[in-house]
Amino acid sequence: MKTRIALYGALREADARGYLELDVPPSSSIAELRELLAAHLREHAPQVNAGLVRISAFASAEEILHNHREVPEGVELAVLPPVSGG
Amino acid sequence: MDDLHLAVVERAEAALDVAAALDFVSDPRFGGIAVFVGKVRDFNVGRHVVGISYDLFVPLALRTFQAIGERARAEVGAPLKLYIAHAKGDLGLGDLAVVVAAGTPHRAEAFRACRLAIEAVKHEAPIWKQEHYVDGDSAWSEGCSLCEASAEETHDTAGHGGHGHAH
Repeated sequence: MKTRIALYGALREADARGYLELDVPPSSSIAELRELLAAHLREHAPQVNAGLVRISAFASAEEILHNHREVPEGVELAVLPPVSGG
Repeated sequence: MDDLHLAVVERAEAALDVAAALDFVSDPRFGGIAVFVGKVRDFNVGRHVVGISYDLFVPLALRTFQAIGERARAEVGAPLKLYIAHAKGDLGLGDLAVVVAAGTPHRAEAFRACRLAIEAVKHEAPIWKQEHYVDGDSAWSEGCSLCEASAEETHDTAGHGGHGHAH
């Protein structure tokens, strides 16, 4: 299934549209999505530090989704690099 | 809830408003108000800063502010009004980046709630800072990871205020 992932902070530089779309096998976990995103960045956005994905969180508009969670179907996700508000 | 005011304010539309924050947390029950104001400063990690752009994942930021407000209420165990507003977009030197205000019956609870809220906003809310320097270069600030391993580490050691880095 196609999953759209909104980009924030330093990861915005991976795609000028502000999001990516990845083909994610059904029932994938967030940990698996993390690997897919890192591989996508290495191939399509080498200017971005793919290592940043290791320390980024995934989230829906409602909550952070940790590694063991399943990628929800039909929901736009966001990848959140380390935060620096205030 | 009407005792929490939670906002993300686009800089192009308005500046953050400290007077509005004080007004919101004022109440006949409250003898103590604490306010924290975060502003854009001109120097960071050895570089001259001329501005900051803030990027936010707004829906989750507002939910995080809500959770912070509920935690502050549980923590202080006293009547509380709390105001949290963060700027979004392109800010210049001296612009207000964040305003947190807490009103409570006594000063100790007001300081505690205000401190808890600003620390949590900095460490937990999905907000990113890009600094712009006098030489034309820009860089995203290093920050606090929200992912699992790091979150567990933070909760083990935090005790709030015990966070081991400088921002």
